[in-house]
Amino acid sequence: MPDIISAENLKKSYGGNIAVDKLNLHIKKGEFFGFLGPNGAGKTTTIRMITGILKPDYGTIMIDGHASSEKQKIAQTIGVIPESRGFYDWMTAIEYLGFFADLYGITGKEKEKRIASLLSEVDLTKRKHSRIGTYSRGMRQRLGLARALINNPQILFLDEPTLGLDPQGQEDIQSLLKKLNAKGVTVFLSSHLLNEVANLCSRIGIINNGKLVAEGTVSELQEKTKLKDKNLTDIFLHLTRNNQ
Amino acid sequence: MFTHIWKKEIRGELYTWKSMLWLVIASLLFSFTSYLLLTNQELSLLDQTELLWLLGKIMIGVALLIVTIDASSILNVEFEKETAESLFLSPISLRDLILGKLFASLTLWAAIFVISIPYIVVTSAGSHLAWAFMGYVALLGTLGVVGLVFLIFGISLLYRSSKNTITTALIILLAFATPALFTSTLKNDIVSQTFSAINPIDNIFNSLDNVLVDYKTSLLDNWQFLLPLIVFCVVAFLFLFLSAKRFTKQGIIKND
Repeated sequence: MPDIISAENLKKSYGGNIAVDKLNLHIKKGEFFGFLGPNGAGKTTTIRMITGILKPDYGTIMIDGHASSEKQKIAQTIGVIPESRGFYDWMTAIEYLGFFADLYGITGKEKEKRIASLLSEVDLTKRKHSRIGTYSRGMRQRLGLARALINNPQILFLDEPTLGLDPQGQEDIQSLLKKLNAKGVTVFLSSHLLNEVANLCSRIGIINNGKLVAEGTVSELQEKTKLKDKNLTDIFLHLTRNNQ
Repeated sequence: MFTHIWKKEIRGELYTWKSMLWLVIASLLFSFTSYLLLTNQELSLLDQTELLWLLGKIMIGVALLIVTIDASSILNVEFEKETAESLFLSPISLRDLILGKLFASLTLWAAIFVISIPYIVVTSAGSHLAWAFMGYVALLGTLGVVGLVFLIFGISLLYRSSKNTITTALIILLAFATPALFTSTLKNDIVSQTFSAINPIDNIFNSLDNVLVDYKTSLLDNWQFLLPLIVFCVVAFLFLFLSAKRFTKQGIIKND
């Protein structure tokens, strides 16, 4: 299976602080990749570099065979729930998705069909004519997911998609992600919720102080760390504490 | 692509109470000025051409002020409300975004101009200058607005903050507008005359004077005023271009 995301020697620093240091990532098509790290480890910076929001100081990125300079092609391939979750509060859900569909060049019946299907998938059909400003945090997260899926992306990047959600909200998002991955969408999930990552992801990468300190399935990580009977939380703490 | 941004801005920024309030304020100011000019004992003694010139100055001045305030936040709001990241993750380019926002600012100017038409018609009744007055207010106002918006967008991309942009933009507007209000007798020295020759607001007012007071209505007669205005637009565009280059280099997210 070819790599759908390939990042080589990524480096980014802010002033004198190195946020990401010589990071290499290779993700195969259809994978559900979990990206873990403590606060300030470089997760968001890595996602922003891969999705083209930030320019790396050094290194190369390829997304589905496109170099990072091919912004338009990459934008059509990926869907992102970014860390900053601003919405146009004065719009309704249907207007919001319609606006983004326009930006992706989706028009006419196809646009209507896709918006209706996404609203139903994220369970917002009943509130489609309500202003986003009146939505709860969970509804906004689900709308963000619908926006990320408006262009039928092959790769979905999620930066803490369940942050601040109640267990029901978390469960809703997780089951949606499972469905999408089953349909062949490659998922890149950054999360603080280790159980969520352990349950959903086929492979996990752990970043600490800007460096990728471990990568593999949960059992591979157990072997690498020699923590055979331990869970992901123990492995994560072991790796991030040892590398501080 | 920029038309989608333009449409969004018209709905989200122009069809709001804030914008409607601006238009009501503009309309009240035009009504008050026209009423004073036509009924006040001393002001009504002014020659009609002088009266039109005064009204034209007020119309363009008010429009430039409103557009400055509006344009100072129209781009920054995307950074302040954290919508910029989602926007730039879509296939939209910075050029499309700027173009869409520029057209939104021009739409606000067009709305102010449309409001001013009845006042132009009433105050120029009986003279042969109504069409020339209207045409030159439209032309000079549009050039002034385009240059000013380029400048403000350039500042917005540097600061990414409405508060800082509006403060800087108002200082620039005042720096241009205040000397333009001085009479020509106060502009005797070479420095004042040079500044007056390149000052866009001075050139707008002088062109209106040329058209309305001296009856020189052809574009050829006004080229000495139009040229500095076009140069102002070009310089403001270059500033925006450099500012956009710096913005692209820094990335949409300045610091993490």
